[in-house]
Amino acid sequence: MTTVAGGIDSRQSDAALPSFAETVDVHKAMVFSIGWHFLRDRVAAEELAQDVFLQLYRNWTTMKSPDHVLFWLRKITSHRAIDLVRRRKIRPETSLEEAGEPTVLERVQDSLLSSYLERMVASLPERQRMAIVLRYQEDMDPDEIAKVLDMKVSSVKTLISRGLELLRAKTGRRLGITEYKDSHDTV
Amino acid sequence: MTPFERQLKKALERREPSDGFTDRVLMRVHQQDRIDPSLRNGFLQRIRSWRLIPVLAGALIITGGIAVQRYEREARGEAAKRQLMVAMRIAGSKLHGAQMAVREVEQ
Repeated sequence: MTTVAGGIDSRQSDAALPSFAETVDVHKAMVFSIGWHFLRDRVAAEELAQDVFLQLYRNWTTMKSPDHVLFWLRKITSHRAIDLVRRRKIRPETSLEEAGEPTVLERVQDSLLSSYLERMVASLPERQRMAIVLRYQEDMDPDEIAKVLDMKVSSVKTLISRGLELLRAKTGRRLGITEYKDSHDTV
Repeated sequence: MTPFERQLKKALERREPSDGFTDRVLMRVHQQDRIDPSLRNGFLQRIRSWRLIPVLAGALIITGGIAVQRYEREARGEAAKRQLMVAMRIAGSKLHGAQMAVREVEQ
């Protein structure tokens, strides 16, 4: 008997679904990044991603299509990440209020601004953080996010819009970027 | 999308896990398979449905036993009833004989 992973082989019975190994390869960046942006801990994010793929392996026979796999991975990763934070009481490196003032260098260097924004996102409350990560990392619309997080669409929209408001105000104030202060979000 | 949202999107771009991630996942899968081979190809799920068979058989045996007991109880009841009827008939005929004898003596 060949294993699902195995050879790492292939799932002969369903041509539409790639092998388990190919699936890991295709989705590893997505799963790892949700964990990374949510936890801001590389080791924890990688461990989370491995656990999610192991769970996928256990449920591999129930997967119906590549879209089903994608939805399943996003859902399980999101819920596991939120559970992990709640269970271990993992705190973000910085709270929104404690987030340090950017240096002069950060004002001019885009990558550092990104890093600053990442830290700010990581300081948001759990559900809001996950909604923002799914919206801007995965480019998912509020309907899809609502399905993944088992929430109402209206609640997701509120979470994202309040989160953006908070982030924009904070970033605009700290970095002195006035254009952020009065722009309207597209949620 | 506003400039801020574009900046946020850029900040939250996907990143790759460290090299060899897929190999590490597959290694864990193999380890798991060695520890619990029943997980292969959903065999565990089939095992679970096989486990239902003895449970169903047990339920069938218990239900059958109860039906047999009920049938036997009813049969015993019927036999007792028949015996009682016979006894009453015998007693009736004896009583009738005694009555006849009394009348003959009186005449």
